[in-house]
Amino acid sequence: MAFNSHRDFFEVLEKEGELARVKKEVDWDGEAGAIGRKTYESQGPAILFEKVKDYPEGYRISNGTTGTWSRVALSMEMAKKTSVREIYKEYEKRVDIKIPPKILKKSDAPCKENIMLGDEVDLHQFPMPLIHEGDGGRYVGTWDVVINKDPETNWQNWGMYRFMAHTKNWLTGWPQTTSQFAFIMNKSYLPYNKPMPVAIVLGADPLSHIIATAGIKPYENEAENVGGLRGQAVELVQCETSDLMVPAHAEIVIEGEVMPDQIAPDGPFGEYPGYRSGTMCAGVAVKVKAVTYRSKPIVTMIALGTPPDDSSIAASLTAAVAMKKGLIRHGVPVTDVYVPPEGVTHLIVIGVTKGGTETTRKVLDYFTLRRIMTNKHIVVDADVDVFNMAEVLHCFATRCHPGRGILYEWYEGRSNSLTPFYNPEERRKLKGCSVAFDSTWPPEWEKEIVPIKSSFKTIFGKEMVDKVNNNWDSYGIKL
Amino acid sequence: MKEWQTFLRRFSDIQEGKRELFIKDLTAGKAKYATKHVIGTVAKSKTGLEDPDTLWLRGESGERAREPWYISIEQTLEEDWVPGKPYEDVLEAVGKSEKERGLR
Ligand SMILES: Cc1cc2nc3c(=O)[nH]c(=O)nc-3n(C[C@H](O)[C@H](O)[C@H](O)COP(=O)(O)O)c2cc1C
Ligand SMILES: [Mn+2]
Repeated sequence: MAFNSHRDFFEVLEKEGELARVKKEVDWDGEAGAIGRKTYESQGPAILFEKVKDYPEGYRISNGTTGTWSRVALSMEMAKKTSVREIYKEYEKRVDIKIPPKILKKSDAPCKENIMLGDEVDLHQFPMPLIHEGDGGRYVGTWDVVINKDPETNWQNWGMYRFMAHTKNWLTGWPQTTSQFAFIMNKSYLPYNKPMPVAIVLGADPLSHIIATAGIKPYENEAENVGGLRGQAVELVQCETSDLMVPAHAEIVIEGEVMPDQIAPDGPFGEYPGYRSGTMCAGVAVKVKAVTYRSKPIVTMIALGTPPDDSSIAASLTAAVAMKKGLIRHGVPVTDVYVPPEGVTHLIVIGVTKGGTETTRKVLDYFTLRRIMTNKHIVVDADVDVFNMAEVLHCFATRCHPGRGILYEWYEGRSNSLTPFYNPEERRKLKGCSVAFDSTWPPEWEKEIVPIKSSFKTIFGKEMVDKVNNNWDSYGIKL
Repeated sequence: MKEWQTFLRRFSDIQEGKRELFIKDLTAGKAKYATKHVIGTVAKSKTGLEDPDTLWLRGESGERAREPWYISIEQTLEEDWVPGKPYEDVLEAVGKSEKERGLR
């Protein structure tokens, strides 16, 4: 049985020893964020803050729903100890399966238990955290699912984008200009000066959030991918003020309209690369028209920052699998792609069956073609386990020629302005540069001159390896 | 005397005088950090300001300036926004609006 809701999943986390319930009163103003951060940095449990300062009993904040590989495995109904490679493999298998959503009647949808409409809307009734001291506002949308719709084709796009409370009934946010959210807005709303309906969903089932981080192709309904990933249709219900369809079991759904001619400050925010860098006041403003929510609502926070956290883990999974498929389509002979959480989608490891300059050039081409979220790409031979960063680092250090093996490319208008090392002008112009490190043996080298890796498995013959393995216990060496 | 906070790209972007700005309410409680869109006189020193409130400045990385400024709020604007298209620079849009109001 797939998890229908955030709450169902938290019950399983609790059984598995992956949840801490904090009963002590905690301040939404920095304290919850600081606790969340400290917990991530020791790869600790998911957290449910059960008593939040200034708020009634039952109004809760969660942190770190799928912020470790164990919890990602549990969200996919796999064993807690599943390896990263196995999680990738299973996700890769499931993510292209499409199961259309099931539509519930409003009366059957838990997210409609309570409804604030029009003038009643007051976001301050919810314990929206000020996550990091010095943030531009209270980021209610961090671990969210944001939904908007293409009116021509009825494509309902899901994405994860930050949103903060501006006033009691306005949100501001920053779906990047390269996002599908912006693609729809720029195509079908802004040219006609029309407000665009939007829903910001907090606390859906765990896989809905994971899919919201994925770069699913335009015109594909992510809700169907969630169904495939869960092995069961996701249940949706219609919004009160628009025809957007939202996860019916969500904790909180904020319905509003992106204004085509009104703006207000967003940011700065301690973002996923692990820094608060100067990205602010360049987003969108949303007039909130309704909030529907479950009784005892949970605001789903992630205290975003240095890795690992929900963001770097989810992106590691969803981005890597998308990249692998894209690279194969682009003609790169890929074995596997790994996005190490520590590299916060800036650094990517690509294993290939045939290396060399030509392959490395193709890899760089692929990563600089469209919207660009990455900037460093290490291309390694098939003998290297891309999931093992110690092996990757050894390979990079010893096979990448500093003069011949480093290819780079500049571009403008499609870089990721959150990249910490870009200067203010580069951020403004979306100007950037990407590099690929060819850490493979040149394919034109004769076999006799290719250095032999001096490891147990590679420099000894099979006979010796088998002998030592078979006799291991008799040597009396404990490993 | 209330406390407010406003964000700037650089601390040096703020100039004394009558200004339009978005300020965040630092009063403790449920509505802390709610934004107000106001016209007021801002100054480095509170002397000469009528009924001044404290105004903390934060730069674009969220760094807080060591010393606060002061603000005397003259008008709270009804609009929670400034005119502009999504992705336009909000601070530039506020500057434009100030010009139209004859503040600059
Ligand atoms: C925690 C988290 C926060 C994110 N915030 C943003 C954001 O504020 N703006 C943005 O454009 N992308 C953000 N992203 C990346 C997008 O979720 C990602 O690019 C996704 O593919 C967007 O969906 P889309 O392809 O439908 O645009 C965030 C990702 C994560 C994991
Ligand atoms: Mn999408």
